[in-house]
Amino acid sequence: MKKILIVDDDIDLIMQYTPVLQQAGYQVTAAYNGQEGFEKFQAEKPDAMIVDLAMEHFDSGFRLCRQVKKTAEGQKIPVIIMTSAAHETGIALSVGTEEEKQWIAADDYLEKPVSAKDLVLYLKEKVFKE
Amino acid sequence: MEAEASKVLVIDDEYGMREGMRRLLELQGLHVDTASGGVEGVEKGVAQEYDLYFIDLKMPDLDGAEVLRSIKLAYPEAICIVVTAFASIDSAVTTTQLGAYRYIPKPFDPDELNSIVKSALERRALILEKRKLQEERQRRLLELSQEQSRLRTVIGALDDGILVINQQEEIVLFNAAFLSLLEIKQEVHVGDGIDKVLPQEICRQIREILAAKDLRAIKQEVVVRPPAEKVVMANTTPIRDPAGETIGLISVIRDITELKKIDIMRSQFVNMAAHELKAPLTAVQGYLELLLDKSLGDSPELYEQYLRRSLERTRELVNLINDLLNISRMEAGKIRREIQTFRLDELLRDRLEYFREEIERRSITVTQDLQPIAIDADREEIARLFNQLLSNAVKYNRQGGSITVTLQRSGNYARVAIRDTGIGMTPEEKSRLFEEFFRAKNEFTRNITGTGLGLIVVKKIVDAYAGMIEVESEFQVGSTFTVLLPLSQQNETIQEQGNRA
Repeated sequence: MKKILIVDDDIDLIMQYTPVLQQAGYQVTAAYNGQEGFEKFQAEKPDAMIVDLAMEHFDSGFRLCRQVKKTAEGQKIPVIIMTSAAHETGIALSVGTEEEKQWIAADDYLEKPVSAKDLVLYLKEKVFKE
Repeated sequence: MEAEASKVLVIDDEYGMREGMRRLLELQGLHVDTASGGVEGVEKGVAQEYDLYFIDLKMPDLDGAEVLRSIKLAYPEAICIVVTAFASIDSAVTTTQLGAYRYIPKPFDPDELNSIVKSALERRALILEKRKLQEERQRRLLELSQEQSRLRTVIGALDDGILVINQQEEIVLFNAAFLSLLEIKQEVHVGDGIDKVLPQEICRQIREILAAKDLRAIKQEVVVRPPAEKVVMANTTPIRDPAGETIGLISVIRDITELKKIDIMRSQFVNMAAHELKAPLTAVQGYLELLLDKSLGDSPELYEQYLRRSLERTRELVNLINDLLNISRMEAGKIRREIQTFRLDELLRDRLEYFREEIERRSITVTQDLQPIAIDADREEIARLFNQLLSNAVKYNRQGGSITVTLQRSGNYARVAIRDTGIGMTPEEKSRLFEEFFRAKNEFTRNITGTGLGLIVVKKIVDAYAGMIEVESEFQVGSTFTVLLPLSQQNETIQEQGNRA
């Protein structure tokens, strides 16, 4: 059973994703800020991480991704940034090029809002290629 | 109005001569004064200006030539006619050189005198006319220069920048405000071309107006220091001659930096408000979709939990909208306050009672020390103020924590302090406390709902009563909110009642 770590300060989002992901056969664990996210990453050893960009700071998600990707464990798992930043700031992020990947230190980037069902599809097809 | 009679001074030491001349001259309608010698003649002749002077050349006390010189010195345009029995070329030359108008030898017949007087008066009239014109011109020049300097002073004193340009695109007039508003550091002179001095936007505006036939005015914002450090509004209007040809233009520069800042703040607020309104709605929408999708399996507890959470977020949304409405009402000054005198200690006890259930649920200990103090205010509004502060003291407290509420006099103020043993704030959080929509985000506040506007409402209410609010806080230790509100005049009575009791 694949374990997904969701790091987001939006309690409702986590509450809404959790049952849908569980029904799709994933184990879900959650953290509500960057620091907690890193602790959970180390303790729970998830198979994938979904990370919100703006939590206690506007770039908490970036910091967490860099932190995670510095570890051997972190390099093995897909880390996906999920944010509404582009929508709110007009700055479109992408991880299309190697350079962008280096800078963002994430494997992919999703634009909020993402419904729980779409997240399941995305995990199945893009992340775990089941 | 009848013209004033011309005035003549006859200076002669011979009585018969003086009087004879007086009669002849008075027949001509002239006003005649006489002097019986040279010294008296100088005194009278210099004391005021006569239209004509008749001066006897030979007088025992003072020579006529001297008298003439003195009078001419005082009045260079005086018309002096030298009268003498000792007619000679010499004296004629001397006196003419001294500026005598005519020279008339004694004896003369009345006709001779009349004709001299006539021509002398004509000359005098010319002189006076010329003098009047000169004076008028002088006065006009003075008025004009006064007018211009008045205008210059007025324009110079204006807060708005003024700039006048002619058809040749040269600067005709500008004031100090114009230079400072556009932050023009270089020397600017009348006659300078606009390109040399002005920002491109304004030059473009000017050319557009000068070229256009029927343009009324152009209003344009010019950013002097980006992004909005200094913004001016340049309002440029053509100046037209009676034929309707544009002969130049006037540009009025007004500082709108403050307005711009308010504008930016307002749109930021709207943006933030929309964002804050969207969050709970999106959450509720998500829950409803899950419930409809039967994605939750068949656990009734989960259903209930999700419905409760939806309700909680809906309430939050309503609270947020109420706060927004309160703030906007207060800002618009549309709050109708019913000012009455009431006991603040009673109101605080009442509010604590209101929160009792929640306080007990969280095992919070309440200590109160409330002096009997009255204030004059809208009771409902003050209740809203302390509701917010007490609700925060409960909400952000820890299980089994405590709240201490004190009310005492402090000078002319009622001083309420609400201390909690809650999660407190970091200095950074405390500094942002009164920012709209700011909410401390940390592991302790995660499950605490709030609009981020409560303290804005509190601050506005306190400000409305010319009160004060102070905050002390230590992270993970607790916070103390102190509110000072002006005392009511009625307190003396309360004190007396207290003393009697």
